[in-house]
Amino acid sequence: MKILLVEDDELLGDGIRAGLMLASFAVDWVRRGDLALAALADHDYHACVLDLGLPGKDGITVLQQLRRSGNPLPVLVLTARGQREDKVRGLDSGADDYMTKPFELEELMARLRALLRRSSGMASPVIRHGDIELDPASRRVRRAGEEVSLSGREYAVLLDFLTHPQHIRSRSQLEDSLYAWGEGAGSNTVEVYIHHLRKKLGPGIIVTQRGRGYRLGEPRT
Amino acid sequence: MIRASHAERSPSVRRRLMVTVYISVLFLWLLTGWLSYTRAQQEAEELMDGHLAQVAHLLLAVVQDNEQNIAPLAERLASVRGSPDNVYEPALDFQIGVADGTLLARSRDAPRLPILGAAGYSDILRGEEAWRLLNLSSDDGRYRVQVSQAIGLRDRAALEVAGQTVLPLALVLPALLLFIYVSIRRGLRPLDTLAQAVSARSPDNLEPLVDVAVPAEVRPLVAELNTLFGRVAQVLESERRFTADAAHELRTPLAALKVQAQVAMLSSQAPMRQKALQQILGGVDRADRLVEQLLRLARLDPQRRLEHADPVELAPMIREVVALAATGHATADDAVQLDLPAEGCTVRGDAELLGIAVRNLVDNALRYAGKQGLVRLVVEPNEDRFDLWVYDSGPGVPDAELAGLGQRFFRGRDQLEEGSGLGLAIVQRIVELHGARLLLANRPEGGFQAGIVGLPS
Repeated sequence: MKILLVEDDELLGDGIRAGLMLASFAVDWVRRGDLALAALADHDYHACVLDLGLPGKDGITVLQQLRRSGNPLPVLVLTARGQREDKVRGLDSGADDYMTKPFELEELMARLRALLRRSSGMASPVIRHGDIELDPASRRVRRAGEEVSLSGREYAVLLDFLTHPQHIRSRSQLEDSLYAWGEGAGSNTVEVYIHHLRKKLGPGIIVTQRGRGYRLGEPRT
Repeated sequence: MIRASHAERSPSVRRRLMVTVYISVLFLWLLTGWLSYTRAQQEAEELMDGHLAQVAHLLLAVVQDNEQNIAPLAERLASVRGSPDNVYEPALDFQIGVADGTLLARSRDAPRLPILGAAGYSDILRGEEAWRLLNLSSDDGRYRVQVSQAIGLRDRAALEVAGQTVLPLALVLPALLLFIYVSIRRGLRPLDTLAQAVSARSPDNLEPLVDVAVPAEVRPLVAELNTLFGRVAQVLESERRFTADAAHELRTPLAALKVQAQVAMLSSQAPMRQKALQQILGGVDRADRLVEQLLRLARLDPQRRLEHADPVELAPMIREVVALAATGHATADDAVQLDLPAEGCTVRGDAELLGIAVRNLVDNALRYAGKQGLVRLVVEPNEDRFDLWVYDSGPGVPDAELAGLGQRFFRGRDQLEEGSGLGLAIVQRIVELHGARLLLANRPEGGFQAGIVGLPS
């Protein structure tokens, strides 16, 4: 799951990025509104955390341009002024949710998870695929009721497949979703994570589509 | 409370007006009354004197032709008395005689006075009684007549006349006073209405007074009030914005601190926790600087002029400030070039505040000039004052944002440098307090210049 974080304050941005990375999100962080639009045009994100007061281009403008281009990306707006008009303006400009600074990091993550769940069209907070259960809130994965221990990246790859059950994901798509800018992906790291997932959750969990990429296997009961 | 006691000392316009008008009206009224009274008295005296003369001439004429019958005629004449109830018919007394003073006849109550006195009017006091006399002699000089009136009676008549003249005046007085009272009250009522309109306002209603009908004289006052309302509203609005901005500026570092603290708590890896804790320390320093700047502005704001103005030697102060500023930036030691007058420059002002102003300008210049940039600080005499300029080789400021510099919390649109947007606002205040001006401009050859122009020496 890859998040675009747009926050001009260095200390706050750094903190949010660290927090989101702890929750196994890949985070791209930009500090200017115009750069945010450029990043959104060039990359696929699952959600965006957007501060409103930004240099370059303010958050509302970014939001309006994003929506005008038809991008339905879930956007959570951060405002420092907890005033009603700011919230209303943010939501009316196309935000899906807002939070007022200062906020709880855990609440930010919970709201992001809710946004991601809604955008993927899933009703239940717990994702089920056959006998596999994934709880995004606790980041726990069970197979037939037994808890399976996954690394952060393995969890991220599994979540990516579970939230795109019909899609064939190419290796570069998976890498883009796994890594933020500057985090070097090794030449075959995606294969390594898929290998680990097959070992822990059964070989049929992810199916290789030769020459095209991978997709989620048929659910097993 | 100087104002309160001042207000107590100046009575209300209404009371002052009433007292003044009443005193002048009463004074004029008394003067008029007294003048009418005395004039009426005099006129009455003259009338009665005329009456005396007529009677005297009549008596002389009667005697001239009736010397033989004079005695019985005198009896009859003496019995002609005025009506005792009517003060305008006072009793007439007379003595008639011949040229040598022998009396021919006299009325019973006439004073026994010699009738040989000089012709004409005279006042005589005889015993307890005072008399007004008229002595006349006939044209041939054979007969003399003396007509007399008791002055007491005459005075009663004169008083009556004068009193009747003054009476209407006295009757009119209460009506006049009442009329004045009502007029003043009515005339000043618009002021009461205005006072009510102002006092009935809620403290947050600073709209101009428009629906109050006031006379032309009060209109300038209302206009001034409205101007004042406008200014107060502006001040309140700017205070409100300042508070909102300050809250916003404090909220971001607080949010950052909170997030970093939560990262430190959530993280299971020591390096990550360590980094988050480091960030917290940095954030606390930043919030501390911001609070310090806010407090400084708050302290500077209410001042109208400097509390301490002492001679300040600029050169050593600038060297010290620049040395301090340079250590805070990752720049070469000689990044700031100084160009100070050789003969020294002493200005009048507050050394600490001037130091803060110079420090902020140099900090800005160093920050925006960048690592390879150059900063030059120049002090030059300007007539009997001094100008202080800080030049930097940085990118300058977009023209559209120049006007916003110096406003509180103003930050450039493209600004990623850490800063609260208070530094130049503080410089602006300090410069104002010193009676100088802050000039900010892009240099035509590139870079930026900030000048404190007109420091008093």
